[in-house]
Amino acid sequence: MAFDFDEMLVKIKDKQWALADIDWDAPGAETIGPELWTKLKPFMSDLMWIENVGARGFAAMAKKAPTDTLKEIYTYFHAEEQKHANAELALMRRWGMLDGDEIPQPNVNVKLVIDWLDKYSDQTSLAVLGTVIPMLEVALDGALVKFIVDEIDDPVCQEVFKKINSDESRHLAVDFQVIELLGHATMRKILVETVGAWMNPSLIIGTLRYIPLLNKMRDNIVAMGVDEERLYTAMRRFKKVGERSEFPKRLPMYRFISWHSGVVINRAHPYHKFADALVRATAKYPKKLLRPQPTWSKELTYEPVA
Amino acid sequence: MSETQLSSQQAPLPSHGSFQQAPLPSHGSFQQAPLPLDVAIIGGGFAGIGTAIRLKQKRIENLAIFERGSAPGGTWRDNTYPGAACDIPSRLYSYSFAPNPDWSHTYSGSAEILKYIERMVDDFALRPMLRFGHNVTGVHWDEASSLWEVTFDDHPSVRARSVVMASGPLANVSFPGIRGLDTYEGHKIHSARWDHEFDFTGKKVAVIGTGASGVQIVPELVKVAQSVKVFQRTPGWALPRTNLTTRRTTKDLYRKFPAAQSIARKAWFWGHESVALGVVWNSPLTRVVEAVGKLHLRRQVRDPWLRRQLTPDFRAGCKRLLMTSEFYPALQRDNCTLVTWPIARLAPKGIRTVEGIEHQADVIVFATGFDVSKTGTPVPITGRDGRVLADEWSSGAKAYKSISVAGYPNMYFTFGPNSGPGHSSALVYMEAQIDYLVDAISHAIARNSVLEVRADKQSEYNTDLQRRLQRTTWNSGCSSWYLTEDGFNATMFPGFASQYVGQLKSVNYDDYTVTEYRARVTAARAATV
Repeated sequence: MAFDFDEMLVKIKDKQWALADIDWDAPGAETIGPELWTKLKPFMSDLMWIENVGARGFAAMAKKAPTDTLKEIYTYFHAEEQKHANAELALMRRWGMLDGDEIPQPNVNVKLVIDWLDKYSDQTSLAVLGTVIPMLEVALDGALVKFIVDEIDDPVCQEVFKKINSDESRHLAVDFQVIELLGHATMRKILVETVGAWMNPSLIIGTLRYIPLLNKMRDNIVAMGVDEERLYTAMRRFKKVGERSEFPKRLPMYRFISWHSGVVINRAHPYHKFADALVRATAKYPKKLLRPQPTWSKELTYEPVA
Repeated sequence: MSETQLSSQQAPLPSHGSFQQAPLPSHGSFQQAPLPLDVAIIGGGFAGIGTAIRLKQKRIENLAIFERGSAPGGTWRDNTYPGAACDIPSRLYSYSFAPNPDWSHTYSGSAEILKYIERMVDDFALRPMLRFGHNVTGVHWDEASSLWEVTFDDHPSVRARSVVMASGPLANVSFPGIRGLDTYEGHKIHSARWDHEFDFTGKKVAVIGTGASGVQIVPELVKVAQSVKVFQRTPGWALPRTNLTTRRTTKDLYRKFPAAQSIARKAWFWGHESVALGVVWNSPLTRVVEAVGKLHLRRQVRDPWLRRQLTPDFRAGCKRLLMTSEFYPALQRDNCTLVTWPIARLAPKGIRTVEGIEHQADVIVFATGFDVSKTGTPVPITGRDGRVLADEWSSGAKAYKSISVAGYPNMYFTFGPNSGPGHSSALVYMEAQIDYLVDAISHAIARNSVLEVRADKQSEYNTDLQRRLQRTTWNSGCSSWYLTEDGFNATMFPGFASQYVGQLKSVNYDDYTVTEYRARVTAARAATV
């Protein structure tokens, strides 16, 4: 049956929730023990920033959506990712992880991606963003969110992530449908767009920032005590869901992302020497070279009411 | 607000007067049934007043203006929000047959424009013709008498040989269909129904909408409110506007030498005509207009993300251009925030947006425009053989030269289908419509005839019109109030103002079917001669 984007948009509107729907002072925060607390803090911060990065990605995709409906869907997804980040920040506050009102800073790999998104995402084609963003959602968001749901007992956290999961399921449904639609284009168009995209240095720069981001996240997950198999399962899912039909496979960008995910989950692959080196190199990235943090990445708030 | 918006007339239902019947014509006094009017004008705004003036000048005085409000002025009477002004220079946003040397500024505010309308009413002695509190409920053609019957909700009906629909395309307002609208417990104000009793001082204000009205309201509210949150769905192209005070010497010059004012008006006219090349048609000059808009934005907004939020992603002209130099600075004041997250719903204390935050406010200002009738009629109109105009227009309104509709004899529309300007003054268009319909009406009266536009001519005209619209910015892909949900453009005229005016220079009676006026009164009149 053909995917109905209009119906999906109605569903998205029907399923809206707000931070004010949640009792942030309800009991349960004490279930986070000191050891978990220490590990969870950087993990939540990363997760929150990934949501924020995803939000910006959707904002760029909204600019390129071929129909008004998809544009509106992406506009909603942009806002929903921001909502997830806000909710995760509110959880951090609930668990006493914020230093006063200060919002934790993103790590250097996230900062590099934020910088790239700010500078290049609006000029990047839907074919590129439409395959990378789903990968980020599946691999990072999907895996990390699942971990939280499985490992954290705090009922407020459970309530929040149940809502986030529900939103994400719609994001992924649309993401993969768009990949499928992109795959319906003529091969000539696909090739022209792909060559055009890779001729642009911004995509090379973006890839060089994306690679260490993934490996850095993997390291953080492992440090958390999370079985990295969770991440790999999520990445396999990207491949599996994407290849339910023949069309995504026609997209070189999808094939590349899919191949890359396969490499990432193969610890023995020489790729990791390169990727891990990039993680180490980016850790020493001179902060002076980073442009000032863009305004869009300063809009996070844990306050349900403004 | 845009001058297109401000060319209509409407009002909330007024208190009802005690008017019994239209005035008897000057040339007879029949006891049985009141004599029909020569012309019934529906609407007492700019169009209705202008029509009455021109008819009077042709010595057609057996007419009445039916206005549901309690004062003339239409939209200018109703749109009194802070900062309300016309975005077309007053020299051009006025009638050439009623020049005003005293405009205080290049762009006048709503109060001054309303004063101009009221002055026309008095100068041309129209008050006896105005019937306030008359809310029209229907207009029906009676074949036997060749007369229109106009019915009202609380007054006896009147009959008229001709009807001029001057009710305006943007006559009604309503709150937008936002979820939870009724759950909000704070104060709600619509820009076109401003609540002057409400004191904004120190209040937390939310403004929904950043169109022509929104960009005028926000700069005023930020001066007094504690905080203003501006909720934007789609940014519009904004161009700088310099509003100069008219010097006393200039006013004196215009008063002593009316020709000088006429020259100034022509200069504004042709200046706006040149803009049409970039605004009406999707052309390389459209990029020039966009470049000016981007430069204006860059000059006034430093933050790149805010600039991105305020940058439209449609061709300039596709939606109404905004003329403002005050909006961007207002947005950047410490007490003002632009919110571009979609609105999820209204809650009892404020607006919930999709990023999960509830933006609480003491008052919400809805600068959300008007209910535009592109597929129906403002009141039920029944023409020849019982045809219903709303049915015929259900998939998009169509008329001949925006004025006449086949099957509806002796009926004329001001601001009818496809008469909207994207680049010039609505009053220029309106004046041309008025002169055209006044010619047609006086022709019909002089020859005791009924004029009905030929269906084939109307069809030809619309086929050509829709073909020409395909190349315009309005049909370039953005959704706007100019288009129906199906993308049909029943609103705008695809050309220069001079082309529009040119096509209305004279009535081509070959395009009309002329039949005899058969009213009983004709026979009666004949008998008394």
